[in-house]
Amino acid sequence: MKHSLTAACALLALSTPVYAGKAEVLNTYADIAQAGYEDSLISARRLSDAIYALLADPSAEALTKARQAWIASRVPYQQTEVFRFGNAIVDDWEGKVNAWPLDEGLIDYVGDGAGPTDENPYAALNVIAQPKFVLSGQEVDASTITPEFLETTLHEADQVEANVATGYHAVEFLLWGQDLNGTDHGAGDRPWTDYAAGELCTNGNCDRRAEYLRAATDLLISDLEWMAAQWAESGEARSTVLADEDAGIVAILTGMGSLSYGEQAGERMKLGVMLNDPEEEHDCFSDNTHNSHFYDGLGIRNVYTGHYTRIDGSTVTGESLSDLVAEVDPTVDAGLRTQLDATMARLSAIKSTAEAGTSYDQMLARGNAAGEALIMGAVDALVDQTRGIERVVTALGLDGVGIEGSDSLDEPEAVFQ
Amino acid sequence: MRVVLALALLANPALAGVPEAVRDHILPATAQFSDASGALAEAALNDCTANALQDDFHATYDAWMGLAHLRFGPVEEDGRVLAISFWPDTRGMVPRTVAGLIADEDLAVEDPASFAEVSIAGRGLSALERLLFEPQLSGYIKESYSCKFAQALSVDLAAMAQAIDKEWRTDFAQVVTSAGAEGNATFLTESEAAQALYTSLTTGIEFNADQRIGRPLGTFDRPRPTRAEAHRSGRSLRNVILSLEALNSFAHALADGPTPQTDAAFQAALGAARELDDPVFAGVEDPQARLKAEILQQRIKAILPAVSNEVGVPLGVSAGFNATDGD
Repeated sequence: MKHSLTAACALLALSTPVYAGKAEVLNTYADIAQAGYEDSLISARRLSDAIYALLADPSAEALTKARQAWIASRVPYQQTEVFRFGNAIVDDWEGKVNAWPLDEGLIDYVGDGAGPTDENPYAALNVIAQPKFVLSGQEVDASTITPEFLETTLHEADQVEANVATGYHAVEFLLWGQDLNGTDHGAGDRPWTDYAAGELCTNGNCDRRAEYLRAATDLLISDLEWMAAQWAESGEARSTVLADEDAGIVAILTGMGSLSYGEQAGERMKLGVMLNDPEEEHDCFSDNTHNSHFYDGLGIRNVYTGHYTRIDGSTVTGESLSDLVAEVDPTVDAGLRTQLDATMARLSAIKSTAEAGTSYDQMLARGNAAGEALIMGAVDALVDQTRGIERVVTALGLDGVGIEGSDSLDEPEAVFQ
Repeated sequence: MRVVLALALLANPALAGVPEAVRDHILPATAQFSDASGALAEAALNDCTANALQDDFHATYDAWMGLAHLRFGPVEEDGRVLAISFWPDTRGMVPRTVAGLIADEDLAVEDPASFAEVSIAGRGLSALERLLFEPQLSGYIKESYSCKFAQALSVDLAAMAQAIDKEWRTDFAQVVTSAGAEGNATFLTESEAAQALYTSLTTGIEFNADQRIGRPLGTFDRPRPTRAEAHRSGRSLRNVILSLEALNSFAHALADGPTPQTDAAFQAALGAARELDDPVFAGVEDPQARLKAEILQQRIKAILPAVSNEVGVPLGVSAGFNATDGD
């Protein structure tokens, strides 16, 4: 009896090579990560060129070009967010390049009503206007704003996470300024003359503002260079993922689930609806939030289907987690694919609505039932796909997948039933 | 009779204590919150000024501590838990939203349905505390915008509290106690309801240690007294004490048998809390006083293993994922 069972198992194993492709799946995953960070770096270099051109010869047109380059740079970067949760090396680094939300009054001038809060005594520090200040009891010399100063002194100053001094959103704020339109249409409207020399300079300290923007941009480039290298051949991030096949698959699923659930559905989308607050937009200065959400969702689908379209139009593909799951349980695989597609349809509806002129902050407005339905449709789809991810975890017999939650989500335990 | 009951409980180990917790802990707490906030709304409509409302504000907040840990079902519905108390407010949303509503003289205060659409940072106890206790805001007179705002906040709180009480009484109590029965789409097995209750018990205990005490403690080098919950109304420690008392009664009701370890652990923590002569944890900056707050925090954490032994293990459940996992 025992013998025949073994024989049957052997036969089964021959006909359906269960778990045969984990190494290949992980290689595809690492390849997509590498390409995503390389694309982020390439587009950040274009952003840097546009910013240097703006600072060399400030004009309205140069500012517009820099803003366009920033928006383009977000397309590949947001697709890499799925690598953040589950890969400690990315999560530890991510705060430097994409930290959000931020108390932007730390960096530069802001509208009325900003000031220290219970949480953050430096919420309105305005370092651009202050070459010297006292931080946590220490006199700080900020007479020269360097990448090192931003990284080691100002970023997360006083151990407050909202003191974001570096990364995409600091650069975004310096290009757009605060969005003072509330939940009405319109993004931040910083005048190009905030970078003008001499008497044309508006809002003061144009030279220090330029110095800040240059330093933040240089730092973004060097941070992205570092991360792209970690995913290259023999890079640490790639080696870690490949070192233990089961742990690698767990990392993929943890990243997909945590970004879907706690981070995107909860912190970035549902909480914003509950607060009706335009500051709760992920890309709140530029009103680019619809894209930010869309490319986050696409990144999740990329790693499951093992397919990434690069910024030059070429593709990175290979054996995917989907293939692996389909071998074990085709129903579970089909279910998750359907859910990922449903999420993309919902995120596309938000994106097309925003591109047609109703921006994400308008959707958040109090009493805007249609906007709320658009956003909550995507939230529900993301929660649904989290259930599908959980089923994959069960189907593959994995454990140790801890999915991040969010205070704003109803009955999170229901997701895991 | 007694033997028969004991046998029935043995047959249904996962259900043991759930009906008792609903009857002895949850329903009295939702009724108390509904009554207290109803009195607050009535008082506000009669005299909206800050001095006149502070006692009823405290009574309502006290009552909220009796059920704030029940973060599932009616308390979670429509995001009520955050609309009733938006804390921790890590980005200063409450002061910004409250100031914005006052500056705009937002007409939402005129109508309860409109006010229920307002940002959760402009509603509930957190916003009302600002209005009643922040010196720059609390001096308002009758006939002012802030007066109408205080009335709207109070009426809105009473409406949420009534809805929670009603939903528990008419529907959710049945959902919880019929876990696993055919047609129960919320709790597919008996142990899921027990697990939901147990998770809210342990999460509630952790919330006192990690948030209510942990946030003002900060680090030794950088204590954070302004992060204490409800410090403007002087309630930070009072909230901890009331919450622990409620959680102790919850544990008692939910447990299958006697809970001597659990009760002793709660009493040790409550003893440390009552001895701590520091209502808003202002002492976290002083090494001596700080040590006492740290001891209180440790005593609260020490409740968890006792609860696990005497409540969780007999129920056959351990804590599940909860809303405060993550960032």
